[in-house]
Amino acid sequence: MTNKIIKCMGLVLAFFTVSCDSYLDVNENPNNPEDAPISGLMINTTYESAYNVFRVGDITSFFVQYLASPNPGTATDTMEPVSHNVTWFNLFNAMTDIQVLMEKAEAQGASHYQGAAQILMAFNLGMAVDIFGDLPITEGFTFETVTPAYDDDAELYAMVMDLLDEGLANLGRATSVSIGDDDFIYQGSISQWVAFGHTLKARFLLHSGGSATEILQAVDNGFQSNADNASVSFFDQAVNPWYDIARDNASLLLGGWISEQFVEALDGTSYPVADPRLALMIGATDDDTYVGTTNGTGRGNAPEQGARSTLVPGQYYTSVTSPVLMATYSELKFIEAEASFATDRPRAYQAYLEGIAAHMEMLGVPQGEMDSYLADPSVGMGEASLTLADIFKEKYVALFLHPETWNDARRFDYQYRDMDLPGNLNPDLNGQFIRRLPYPDNEISRNGGNVPNVTLLDRIFWDE
Amino acid sequence: MRNLFLTCVALFSVMAASGQTITGKVTDTSGTPLPGVSIVVDGTTRGTTTDFDGNYAIAATQGDLLQFSYLGMKTIEVSVGNQNTVNVAMEEDAEQLGEVVVTAFGIAQEKKSLGYAVQSIDAESITQTKQANLVSSLQGQVAGVQITNSGGAPGQSARIIIRGVNSLDPAADNQPLFVVDGVPIDNSTIESASSARGMSNRAADINPADVESMSVLKGAAATALYGVRAANGAVIITTKKGKAGKTTLSFNTSVGFEDLNHRPVMQKKYGQGFNGEYDGDSFWPSWGAPIEEVAKIIPGHKYENNWDKAFETGVQTDNTVSISGGNEKTTFYASLGRFDHKGIIPYSSWDRTSAKISGSVILSDKFNMGASVNFSNSGGNRVPHDSYLENMMYWAETRDVRDYIKEDGTMVSYGANTNPIYQARFSTYKDDVNRVIGNVNFNYSPWEWLTLSYRLGTDYYSDSSTEITPGPKGIDGEEPLSSTGYIEERRINSRDINSNFYLTLNNKIGNDLTSTLRLGSDVFERKYDRLTSTGVDFVIPEFYNLNNTNQIFTSQGKSIRRLVGFYGDLMLNYKEYLYLNLTGRNDLSSTLPKDNNSFFYPSVNLGYVFTDHFEMPKWFTFGKLRASWAQVGKDTDPHVLGATFAAPDRYPLGGQVGFTRNSSFGDPMLKPELTTSVEFGAQLALFDNRFDMDITYYKSNAKDQIIPVPVSDATGFSSYFTNAGEIENSGFELVLGAHIFRDGDFKWRASANLSMNNNEVVAIREGIEEIVVGSQFGYAGSTVTMKLIKGEAFGNIYGSTYQRYGSDPDALHLEGHLPIIIGANGFPEQNGGQRILGNAVPKWIGGLRNEFSYKNWDLSVMVDFRADVEQYNQFDNFFSAFGKTSYSLARNDFRVFDGVLADGSPNTQSVWLGQGMGPDGRDYGAGYWRNYYRTISENFVQDASFVKLRNITLGYNMPESFIARTPFNSLRISLAANNIILYTPWDGFDPESFSAGAGGNAIGFTGLGFPGTQSYFLTFNFGL
Repeated sequence: MTNKIIKCMGLVLAFFTVSCDSYLDVNENPNNPEDAPISGLMINTTYESAYNVFRVGDITSFFVQYLASPNPGTATDTMEPVSHNVTWFNLFNAMTDIQVLMEKAEAQGASHYQGAAQILMAFNLGMAVDIFGDLPITEGFTFETVTPAYDDDAELYAMVMDLLDEGLANLGRATSVSIGDDDFIYQGSISQWVAFGHTLKARFLLHSGGSATEILQAVDNGFQSNADNASVSFFDQAVNPWYDIARDNASLLLGGWISEQFVEALDGTSYPVADPRLALMIGATDDDTYVGTTNGTGRGNAPEQGARSTLVPGQYYTSVTSPVLMATYSELKFIEAEASFATDRPRAYQAYLEGIAAHMEMLGVPQGEMDSYLADPSVGMGEASLTLADIFKEKYVALFLHPETWNDARRFDYQYRDMDLPGNLNPDLNGQFIRRLPYPDNEISRNGGNVPNVTLLDRIFWDE
Repeated sequence: MRNLFLTCVALFSVMAASGQTITGKVTDTSGTPLPGVSIVVDGTTRGTTTDFDGNYAIAATQGDLLQFSYLGMKTIEVSVGNQNTVNVAMEEDAEQLGEVVVTAFGIAQEKKSLGYAVQSIDAESITQTKQANLVSSLQGQVAGVQITNSGGAPGQSARIIIRGVNSLDPAADNQPLFVVDGVPIDNSTIESASSARGMSNRAADINPADVESMSVLKGAAATALYGVRAANGAVIITTKKGKAGKTTLSFNTSVGFEDLNHRPVMQKKYGQGFNGEYDGDSFWPSWGAPIEEVAKIIPGHKYENNWDKAFETGVQTDNTVSISGGNEKTTFYASLGRFDHKGIIPYSSWDRTSAKISGSVILSDKFNMGASVNFSNSGGNRVPHDSYLENMMYWAETRDVRDYIKEDGTMVSYGANTNPIYQARFSTYKDDVNRVIGNVNFNYSPWEWLTLSYRLGTDYYSDSSTEITPGPKGIDGEEPLSSTGYIEERRINSRDINSNFYLTLNNKIGNDLTSTLRLGSDVFERKYDRLTSTGVDFVIPEFYNLNNTNQIFTSQGKSIRRLVGFYGDLMLNYKEYLYLNLTGRNDLSSTLPKDNNSFFYPSVNLGYVFTDHFEMPKWFTFGKLRASWAQVGKDTDPHVLGATFAAPDRYPLGGQVGFTRNSSFGDPMLKPELTTSVEFGAQLALFDNRFDMDITYYKSNAKDQIIPVPVSDATGFSSYFTNAGEIENSGFELVLGAHIFRDGDFKWRASANLSMNNNEVVAIREGIEEIVVGSQFGYAGSTVTMKLIKGEAFGNIYGSTYQRYGSDPDALHLEGHLPIIIGANGFPEQNGGQRILGNAVPKWIGGLRNEFSYKNWDLSVMVDFRADVEQYNQFDNFFSAFGKTSYSLARNDFRVFDGVLADGSPNTQSVWLGQGMGPDGRDYGAGYWRNYYRTISENFVQDASFVKLRNITLGYNMPESFIARTPFNSLRISLAANNIILYTPWDGFDPESFSAGAGGNAIGFTGLGFPGTQSYFLTFNFGL
């Protein structure tokens, strides 16, 4: 009898063991696929790249005093070492997806996807280097190590340039799959991707001290008009993030308050001329005036609504489906103006005027107002009187909310007219403006052995 | 191992069958069935034990003498006549130390025979605590078991940890398996995704009044039979069963009231504004001018006592009616319960309706079965306590927080502040859980030496929750809670199925050795499906439906986990004083990689009752030594392996769906975790059981920890699921009991337990310096982090410190003994690098219970404590940032900070603590409290020890003379009080509350959690 039991049990065990394998084979993820099409990655990386411009711009706009906090002593206003874990994550998350897209596109012979991905990589990487400096890139993305070493920021800039060159080359090759509506930036227009690539080359060469010839060559191949602007328009289902801030502020969830610096640069206070763009970019007070808020000191006795200028829903930058601008024709023109300033003053002056006009056209400034603004002697001062400060000032206006302005501000040593240090400045800055973001806490905690030890006054290589 | 099984099976070779089969039921004198009673035909090797319902069957012939023996009961001998049924009622034997505990699979065992520590509490000890949550009712009662109520919200979760945490994964469930009548149930806590709401742990669905007893199986030895799911121990719940005899009806009703049990000390002098100046529109609630001075100018301006007004008196009512009865063949039990709880934060509520029915049938001499089904409906309105208290923080103390709503229904506000009561009322989160827990079981004994048992159980629940935050009403000048409003509808369906089949083989080898062998297999499956739809931006205000929103986002999360286990359990009993238990189990888990998904783990334990071996002095009543060594494996969550892609829920956009690679990567070579534990213990009883004692030492090492290691985002992932560490827990547990007065009208029984736990992160994966378990915000660099560092303890809280003179720059620990460095500006300097400031795992926990009775009166007093434990007091950090703490009264003083300058010379500089321009003509900016004090975590990681009067109950049983004139058979009235803090150094709300909820391991942070409460109850128990 015992033998029978043993035999039975043996059989039962054998039966279970065989059937177990299939019974237990249920671990494939039912929620998330193991692979994604290049088209799906293109959709998300174009979207996220544009969103990253907002994420970074939402930090830097306080440093360059486009925006100011309604409350005194707010950390971004006062340039304290805020840990931007989320922005860091999103920059690397986008770059990871772009890396996957690049590899998949290459494997499929989809040269256009590969080229566009390389340009997006250059775009995000350059933006990240500009705010953080050294980054862990060459050992990154592939999970070969959990503690990737950092690359020197200057070397990363060389990598950005290589990516742009390779991307442009790939965009010129035959592709097995064509880009279409999965491209939220250009809906598959390859010539515009090429122009975007050259525009970015101009931008990064300008930071890193490229020669005028190099920069102007890139400019020539860059955007030809506002129609080429690199941007992602938002959706009813996913609203423009600046609109979101403006809408919240309208409901007294305060945010998007305009700095006094910006208002006074346009309302005739700092400069003799009132800029017609002011009313198209920011909201007026209840008295139909424009009043900014001083960075670092808050709104003082002002009520939470009606007495100060803020972002308001429905304007160019702040409508539900407004685009987030990644690079514009206007910016390119100011790059051209700065690059040719020393060598070709007439070209510089022409580009300066075209840069202003391009931004005004983008905002829809009436022709008459545009003409009279450009004719004002403080704006249309003539090529002999043009200064770099004029170029920087107009670029500052044209790149409203864009992170590139912080790069300009640092290159320009924050010499914008009337720009003062914020109130309640972080005492560790010893009375100076911030020069970089700190590495975020998450990265220090996870990769502390490699994270460079920096202060907020240590400069990015191109700022030294 | 297989060989061992075969050898064991071979032991059962000689089996004789003769004569007739005698069946029957063994009960105690009150009719309660006694499982595990050993029955032997005198002079033979034939023997059996009663099953779970006290039934037995044994072959015997006329004239045989049946011996019924059971620990704690007087042995009975019955001679077999011509009857086939022999029912026996056993009497308690005061001479013996008798205790039966229910162990794995609902098998009742004599505690005497166990080679490991186990502690059990009975129905009275459970219901007396007046806890609606079964987990909380264990508080202070069991050595080595730490129960922490995560807060005072109605229905809020309680966390149970046995002998320290075994899994370092911040999200791992370190809580024991809950088993109801042999069937494991789900005790997870699913927190609200968007805001802290104080959700329930699912064991709260069980009505404590239905529970007969709870046994806590602590070590791996005790739980080898349940496999991976019991790797943290098990709580074995036995529900009430019907008893043969008269049908009884009982009705219990109770009402309770509660209020805050502890609160921070706050300043009442300074009001709204900044720089010491009053400003009625200021965001700053307490940095303004003295309230008294402002009152001279503004009539009616006064301190509004908002912190009193913000909390109401909570009310609980609890009613249970139950009926039970049966005859020799069938028994039944049915109950209906209703619990209602309104919390101290306005609009917080939770209720539970429960119904239970169970029964058992003896179908024949060889076959019996039982079934039980428990239905419950629970849920309530979960207020957003975090934002409630945060908004209380910002609210000016001179504005009546109760004046919160205008006639048109919009919020009364100022300076863009949100009124907390308005938010609590309109920002709702309602959950509605329907749950069925049921099981059927069959026992078949073809021969008396063999029983086949099968148990099928299910735990099914649907959790339907709706979160609504209204948008603008469209009224000019209103301040809405959200600029768009949103509604989130979440539906969860979870189904557990547990199927367990086992054979029990009993044998007697010679006169001295008996054996019981169990062989079985069990299969577990959990299917879980969550669907969440969020609608944003209401088209028509105040009409809350997904169809009425402009944006809709949907996400789905499904999972399936399957486990198959094979096990064997051999118990050998030599002469009733030496007990050896060997177990082995092989688990297969669907969650692990195929090559690593099968794992075996054994255990062995030995119990030696030396008082039954040697002749001992008369006063030495009982003595046992025990030792055990055990291993247990642990798998991981389903669907974590490899890399996957996801479509974020904003898609489709313009008809396009984008994908992103998930930021979590699961090691394709993942192995199961393995915990190895050893335990030694002794159990003694002296002076005729007047004094008893149980002491246990344990040590466990859990290695190959499966942890989602946070990794640099630059790697392409943010978290890496891998085997990444080892944790060691060791400690001792002491249980003492004494019958101080046992005979006579006045009785006094005292029992105490004390536990100490040490733990250390022995290893973490090479190349990883630290693993962050969690962090909590603190202002301006005072954010604190719980992290794992090799060689340090689990539960350490890291944060910023004062700079200290002569400090070792590489030191991990706070060097509090060194002088603080004072900067050139006269204020202490901050060291931003994080150091260990405390540990959130209490080193010492314990409880003391005194039970007195005199005639019809009884009094029970239970005190528990925890010591050597710290917590991050986020409340204090906020209070100091907003000038609400009593110490911030020192805001217009001059102070010379105690410390040294950077060169080591003593600081002599006098500085002003206020804001703005000081009397000395220096601009002090935002002042000392904001610029310096609040930036240093060291100030806010505080001693969170306490001594609590956990429960005091005074009861009176109406005398017979009175009862005779009523329709009742019995009537008891009792008064009780709970959770009264007797001592704590903590300045704040109840230090027991923490923000993570029972599900998480980031326990060291108070957050802005729901404050703890003390409560008072009046209870009537009627018997019919």
